[in-house]
Amino acid sequence: MNDKAVQTAERAALVECADDFDAINKLYRERRWSDGLPIVPPTVERVERMLRHARRPREGLVARIAPAFGAATVERIAINAVLAGCDPEYMPALIAAVEAVADPEFNLQGIQATTNPVAVWVIVNGPLAQELEVNATFNCIGEGTWANATLGRALRLILRNIGGALPGEMDRATQGQPGKYTFCCAENEVESPWEPLHVERGMSRDQSTVTVVGAEGTMNMNTHAKDAVDLLRVIAETMVHPASNEYCHGGEPWLMIAPEHADILKRAGLSKADVKARLWELTKMPASHMAAKDLLRVKSSRTEELGEIGPDTMLTIAHKPDDICIMVAGGPGTHSVYVPCFGNSRAITRVIAAAG
Amino acid sequence: MAKRGRAALTICSTAFITLGRAQASALGYAKLPIAVIQHPFGIRTRDEVRAMADKCATEVVRLLSEGTAK
Repeated sequence: MNDKAVQTAERAALVECADDFDAINKLYRERRWSDGLPIVPPTVERVERMLRHARRPREGLVARIAPAFGAATVERIAINAVLAGCDPEYMPALIAAVEAVADPEFNLQGIQATTNPVAVWVIVNGPLAQELEVNATFNCIGEGTWANATLGRALRLILRNIGGALPGEMDRATQGQPGKYTFCCAENEVESPWEPLHVERGMSRDQSTVTVVGAEGTMNMNTHAKDAVDLLRVIAETMVHPASNEYCHGGEPWLMIAPEHADILKRAGLSKADVKARLWELTKMPASHMAAKDLLRVKSSRTEELGEIGPDTMLTIAHKPDDICIMVAGGPGTHSVYVPCFGNSRAITRVIAAAG
Repeated sequence: MAKRGRAALTICSTAFITLGRAQASALGYAKLPIAVIQHPFGIRTRDEVRAMADKCATEVVRLLSEGTAK
């Protein structure tokens, strides 16, 4: 939603509580307004400080958040940013992430209410990633970096506090996953041999963006392969798994390629598009690998795309090679990450509003 | 549909009834009739599923009739 058509919603209510960290956290715990971790008390002063960096009016409606379709106003986003411990400078990135998850192509209703463990992975690109010190190198999806930890956490709090996705209520996740606390990193653009993710997705290099991904989890791929053919083969064999939403629906699998692995692929003369095309071929899986019941789901979901589906049909992991998504992240080491995705969702990229 | 005056209901399994009720309330129609099917049904035989569907169809008719009678 752009500023020319600002919609507004009701202001957040002011709740009075004893000026005491334990008392405030007790209140948040009782009302299920937290993710299970202690929160930073959202005092009027802290929220106002956050709002000064929003670059949008406080009443402005950024999005309606499924499944409760609560109003994510700038003010409510700011409150959740405070709860999560965000620096005020993160606000424009967080607002862009909220816009992105609300895009119908992302299928937030499905992502929020499903039994699947899907979490929202936030990828930051462009100059702002460095400015905000979003980690793209060592342990970038692990702990230890303030921006990664709090930006991802703030989005999760928005999804539950505004979107109403409380575990066991409207969030029906069977187990969930640790990424539902926070899942955010930047792309390692400096060490990537390819164009950055946001440039590949149509933005200019000097723009800053967030990309949101419906991520089922992370699968580490530790391989010392030095040959591109060998490397792609083992990556593909990791991606092939029959109990998969991606094969069921035609998904959007993601790869977080380590700089060392990216370098091997680039030195073999492979562009990102080449890598995608090869992986799309290498990950074809006989339909007979799926459970009989799951094969019925595949037939229901993909017959129009693939024609008659029998046990010998070679199922593709995605509708087309370009639906395999690649970003480069991490520090030194021979570990890349396969991020299987929700299937019925497409990643969305949004530009972060520039300063001034 | 219900807000437009048409008879409407939703069908969901017992595992999703909390979601159904909460979302109906969130969307401003807390009284939305919901026909409920025992969860899980993916592991049941075809005959068992057919029996559940018959029972559910009866429930759907009942809920819709109640809605129109008001």
